[in-house]
Amino acid sequence: MQGQIPFGVADYFWEEALQRQELIANLLATFRAWGYGDVTPPAFEYAASLTAQASASLQAEMYRFLDRDGSTLALRPEFTTPIARLAGTRLHDWPMPQRFCYGGSVFRYVDPQAGRQREFWQAGVELIGAPSPDADAEVLALTAEAMKVAGLTDYRIVLGQIRYFGGLLAALELTPEQADSLRWAIERKSEPALADFLRETPLRTGQRQAVEALPGLSGGDIQQVIDQAESHCLNTEMHRALVNLRGVVDALSGYGVLGSVVLDLTEIRSLGYYTGISFEALAPESGFSIGSGGRYDDLVGHFGPAQPAVGVALGVERLLLARQRQSGQFASLQPTPPHALVISHQNPAALAQVQRWRAEGYRLQMEVNGREMADILVYAKQAGIAQVLVWEDDRFSAFRRQSDGSFESTSGEISFDE
Amino acid sequence: MSSTPVFAAPSESSVESRPPLLFALPKGRIAEESLALLEKAGLTGPLDTNSRKLVLANTDNSIGFVMAKPWDVPTYVEYGAADVGICGLDVLRESGRRVHEPLRLPFGHCRLSVAGPKDRPDTPLRYASQPRIATKYPRLAQEFFRKRGVNAEVIGLSGSVELGPVLGLADLIVDIVETGSTLRANGLVEIRTILDVQAVLIINRAAYQLKSEQIQGIIERIRAVI
Repeated sequence: MQGQIPFGVADYFWEEALQRQELIANLLATFRAWGYGDVTPPAFEYAASLTAQASASLQAEMYRFLDRDGSTLALRPEFTTPIARLAGTRLHDWPMPQRFCYGGSVFRYVDPQAGRQREFWQAGVELIGAPSPDADAEVLALTAEAMKVAGLTDYRIVLGQIRYFGGLLAALELTPEQADSLRWAIERKSEPALADFLRETPLRTGQRQAVEALPGLSGGDIQQVIDQAESHCLNTEMHRALVNLRGVVDALSGYGVLGSVVLDLTEIRSLGYYTGISFEALAPESGFSIGSGGRYDDLVGHFGPAQPAVGVALGVERLLLARQRQSGQFASLQPTPPHALVISHQNPAALAQVQRWRAEGYRLQMEVNGREMADILVYAKQAGIAQVLVWEDDRFSAFRRQSDGSFESTSGEISFDE
Repeated sequence: MSSTPVFAAPSESSVESRPPLLFALPKGRIAEESLALLEKAGLTGPLDTNSRKLVLANTDNSIGFVMAKPWDVPTYVEYGAADVGICGLDVLRESGRRVHEPLRLPFGHCRLSVAGPKDRPDTPLRYASQPRIATKYPRLAQEFFRKRGVNAEVIGLSGSVELGPVLGLADLIVDIVETGSTLRANGLVEIRTILDVQAVLIINRAAYQLKSEQIQGIIERIRAVI
């Protein structure tokens, strides 16, 4: 086992680690600019907290273990529940709404797929204490902004409203088995399964028409989809879902991101967790969703006074993968070399100059092995360092790497390649 | 990001020549019928499936076709390596892959069944405490027995599953049955159907949204001829 690592985790180093950290830093900077405050929940906590509203499949994917006192702990499989716990139990008397952003790793016992190991990274936001379509729109617009910040040129956000389908289920007065078969048919977009459901389930004409219309309730022409859905409303719940969607779309139009939004009222995964809008971010050339989110008004109430909430989680690995595929730019699988290797002889004036350059943002490495100049140049060549600075006669002289790989002494002002 | 990429990105030309939509077709049993259906739907002319080229294109280069191992089709489609695919319902369910499946196709009909020796006592399957099941479908077999409260010992094989009971490796098998002649030849009888199988059209979930116009077009043209 020595030197091996368990299945499902990975070492990230050099440029791959740098890209990951930079992406998370850029995303967090964006979230902060929108007024979101940082939160870092623990990596593990009581399993009972994390399973408050987790789906059966997410529960099955959690890493659980026993604490020394016998209580069951679990590694966080996502950030939303820990943040809801924090807001519900400790911050319920702080003025609402509250905004949180995070970036870190989560753990799920799943088969590694699409850039995702069993430890993978998420960055996202939670907006707690705001029930309005404006809050939904803010999180959607911020998701679109995050896609751009991550360097994606082409992406789509597929927006659904779970209450439309929830209202329909209530209006149809189905048995649990019938509801399951309808849900299955809609989730898999299966025409034969929907036909089976319609054949086997006695429905009144209006109910039947509402079910038959469902598969058509998706597309980029959002107004048209909503209008069409409106004509099949069977109860106030379905109607309220559409009122909310119209509000979200109105609020979104100001952000100028509607062109990337597709409405899909058959997007019903995570029924029972989301209580309003739900959405997935997609990119061409990436078959998996790169982020997902929605409104979950019932979660915070598990831990304290109920609060409406909406949020999004973006998959860091999948963002990186989608960006690579869109830009054709892959990580170099090398360390980023410093701008120069410095031989200072520990001279105070030399070190002071090095500190000034570092403050300007140049990456400077010190020679600390006391090697001969010839050995230093061999090292610089192998490590891809373009310049070696040597302190002599109270000033730095520079040796620059030439196209043939040799180093030549250069005169004049010291400058660094960008 | 600042240093030069070492791993070259796909060159411009290869990106351009790749058709905007990729269709994964299964080699083997249902390949002929899949191709015939696509031709009938006007999605492609005859394809030279013996060609060494990995990706075959239709005449206007709007759809590319890859011939894949049947068991790999759901994987290609879930990952989005192919946007659309055709595979058997048995393969799709066993794979557990998350894809959309808008249409069932009128070929590849068969059953996934439990079968056993014909002299087996006529008792319900749930009476056996730990039956040994030889199968190419460990996931579906396990699920079938688990639903009946039986913890079956599922023995995964990659072919000639009927040999299991003959050689004493297993008590029962779970396998595809078309006419039943293979079973009969090995002294086995069908006991219970697990799944009615036929070919199914599957679509990547992201492509379904991102390429919805092309994909809805394909669905409509296929729907019109089945």
